[in-house]
Amino acid sequence: MKRLVAIVEDEPAIRDNYAAAFLREGYAVRTYANRAQAMSAFAARLPDLAVIDISLEDEPEGGFELCRQLRALSAELPIIFLTARDSELDAVSGLRLGADDFLTKDLSLAHLIARVNALFRRVEALRRPNAPEEIVRRGALALDAERMQAQWDGQVVLLSLTEFWIVHALARHPGHVRNRQQLMDAANVVLDDNTITSHVKRIRRKFQSIDPKFDAVQTVYGMGYRWVE
Amino acid sequence: MSLRLKLLLLGLATLVLPWGGCQYAREMESALREGEENSLQAVSQTIAASLQGRTDLLYREAPRPADAADAPDENAGHAFLQSGPYDLRPLALTAAPLLDGYSDDWPHDPSAWAYFEKDDRHRFGILTGVYERMLYVLLEVRDEHPLFDAPGTNPLDPGSFGDRVWLGFQDSQGEERQVFLAATGPGAVTARRIETGEYGQQSAPIEPRIHGAWQPMSHGYRMELRVPLSMLGNGFGVLVDDRDARGAEPVSYGTLRSDDLHTLGRLIVAAPELSSYLAQFMQPGLKLAVTTPSGRVLARADALAQLTGLGSETPVLARLYRRFVDRPGTRALLESSAPIYDRDHKTLIGKLEVTQTANRWIRLRDHALMRMLNFSLSTSAVAVSLMFAFAAWLALRLSRLRQASESALTRTGLVTSFPETDARDELGDVARGFSTLLQRLNEYTSYLRTLAGKLAHEIRTPLTIVRSSLENLESEQVPPAARTYLERARQGSERLNAILIAMGAATRVEEAIGSAERVSFDLLPVLQSAVAAYRGAFPERAFRTELPAEAVVIRGAPDLIVQMLDKLIDNAVDFSPGGALITVRLRLDAQAALIEVDNPGPALPVQVEGRLFESLWQSRAGTDSRPHFGLGLYIVRLIAEFHGGEASAVNLPEGSGARFVVRLSR
Repeated sequence: MKRLVAIVEDEPAIRDNYAAAFLREGYAVRTYANRAQAMSAFAARLPDLAVIDISLEDEPEGGFELCRQLRALSAELPIIFLTARDSELDAVSGLRLGADDFLTKDLSLAHLIARVNALFRRVEALRRPNAPEEIVRRGALALDAERMQAQWDGQVVLLSLTEFWIVHALARHPGHVRNRQQLMDAANVVLDDNTITSHVKRIRRKFQSIDPKFDAVQTVYGMGYRWVE
Repeated sequence: MSLRLKLLLLGLATLVLPWGGCQYAREMESALREGEENSLQAVSQTIAASLQGRTDLLYREAPRPADAADAPDENAGHAFLQSGPYDLRPLALTAAPLLDGYSDDWPHDPSAWAYFEKDDRHRFGILTGVYERMLYVLLEVRDEHPLFDAPGTNPLDPGSFGDRVWLGFQDSQGEERQVFLAATGPGAVTARRIETGEYGQQSAPIEPRIHGAWQPMSHGYRMELRVPLSMLGNGFGVLVDDRDARGAEPVSYGTLRSDDLHTLGRLIVAAPELSSYLAQFMQPGLKLAVTTPSGRVLARADALAQLTGLGSETPVLARLYRRFVDRPGTRALLESSAPIYDRDHKTLIGKLEVTQTANRWIRLRDHALMRMLNFSLSTSAVAVSLMFAFAAWLALRLSRLRQASESALTRTGLVTSFPETDARDELGDVARGFSTLLQRLNEYTSYLRTLAGKLAHEIRTPLTIVRSSLENLESEQVPPAARTYLERARQGSERLNAILIAMGAATRVEEAIGSAERVSFDLLPVLQSAVAAYRGAFPERAFRTELPAEAVVIRGAPDLIVQMLDKLIDNAVDFSPGGALITVRLRLDAQAALIEVDNPGPALPVQVEGRLFESLWQSRAGTDSRPHFGLGLYIVRLIAEFHGGEASAVNLPEGSGARFVVRLSR
């Protein structure tokens, strides 16, 4: 059975382009132009993944509300925000509502598909029993590449997909400096320096909420970041 | 001309007050003078009226009875008014001459002399004067051979007779009397009167009331005499007996009849009581004089001098003021005269002349003038200083306004407290106008500042349509010939995307600043690490660091500092030729750490100064492919201001390049 991807986007050209790309990849696609349409459809049947724009027709923040309602229906459903808005505040609020990723429309279709694939992989991996060989351990850190899950001292750190990939890229080679471009490539995103910086800042904060003494992600000024054990 | 100076000059215009005051004082002085003249005229007329018909006082002439006006010969009783050839008119002396035979203490008045002569060789001049109750007589007799009486002889012995001077006069009863004076040598002369005894024998007793002195002079002698007026009636004469040898027949001439020595002429002189009569009207600063109708002074009372000394007691200020006010040629004396008539109201018997010093009203005027000038000058001073203070205050307000309007533009946001906007005057209007203008300008610039971000946002959606369409197209069956165009379209859209990201950079930095946390950190490792990265990123430039030896700890966000440094290095790389040496320097001064980036290359144009760090401003003639929106240095400024500092740029000496300086407060 094909996986069903729901696209909630008020711009028809974008919506249809995305739909075409997902169809090409072998997904089933449903598209909705506004929150009301989407919610009535979701009530009947939940999609396997939702790609949501933030501003929907006459609701500037309709995407957020939709995400909240969707999350209430399902805790596991992968949700991706895909928006023209790139402000830090939007990203923070989107991720706080339980979205798995927050992407801007700069992202290429190929990168978007890669993410969607990765998220489905994670859903599958979560259903299977743990495969310990897939787990990268760096001190207190345990990274499960399949499930895209990070643990610190045995506690799960809730990272967005982009954040997980950044941590993964850093922790795979501890001590090596990863510059911003490398991190962007690893995370399949095109971001500017400030967005990388705020991602790293968020990652640190999430780890620090578990371990206030967390200091493993170091800034190498002018170059990038490295993982220190 | 500064506002201050202009208002000061305007303030000086209040000096018209004291000027007007001076004019007023002059007017007042004229009025006062006129009043004084009138009252003086009244005084003189009153005194003159009181002297009407008082010929006894004026001329020691018994007043005619009131009905004498009907007398047929009107002027019969007024012999003193006619000028007989032998009449003597004594001067009113102001001091008593010393009886010494010399003339130097007499007034020098050639017209007062009377001359009598027999022939060329016999001639004498006579000058008479009255002082108080005495008649003084000065005789200058031409005599080639002065001859003294033989000393020690009987003055009645004709053989002993030398030169003699006879005085003949009528006494108060009108009886003719004679005395003679015979000198026996230079010095005092005694007067003797001839008396005929009961039996006809004659004697010449000394007349003690008459004193005299004899002195020789060239071609003659001089005799000075003093006779009490009380001895004298109206007739008076002098006869000179000139003898060439003792006992010889004399040459007699003069104003006495030579046979019986009766008087030919009259002594026209005021009664001594006239002076005391005048004295009762005296007051300081006044002079009264009674003259004959022809102007000869009969008597005077003089207290003019009693009011002098004005200058010495007046303050310096008053004298200074007076110099400004006094017109040249102002008379210091007021004069008035009134005729004195006889009882008939027709015959002029004399004149009263009253003189008053101007001192009295000058003093009055000075007093008023002083007060007025002091008042108006201090008013002027107050006005001038008030105006000056006001001008200074205005200038201060204006300069505050100017400073505020100058600095308002260079700040990120408008100063909310624009000065003077609460003022209710025109300056407040200007300030409010400025404030509104700047508010609008600020709105406009902030619109411009956010325009890039907004544009980026708005363009993003259509761009996404283009890009996603292109990507979908790539998956379709596209003829190979079309692939080229597809690829070009894709590249174009990638560039557009890069431009969008660059356009939004400032907005993202502002966001980053908004959420940045300040930590204390050492600048040294941050700079070292960043410069190391630049060496890798820009292999075609050389980098040099000049850093202090010790740690430089500041509070701030190291990420932002690096970002700022990125922009500075980007800028330095863009404007320096290949292979150039870029210097990154960290200096310390008292309050701040200074990061300086020097790059060789073209100097900054003068006109860009101050605008370099504004949003959307760039002066480069960029030809490289990377998009530039003039946001780099604006971001530098934002980050510097976040660190409580500022960014500036200067040219290196000799135009060899540019130096960008960022102050970060410590």
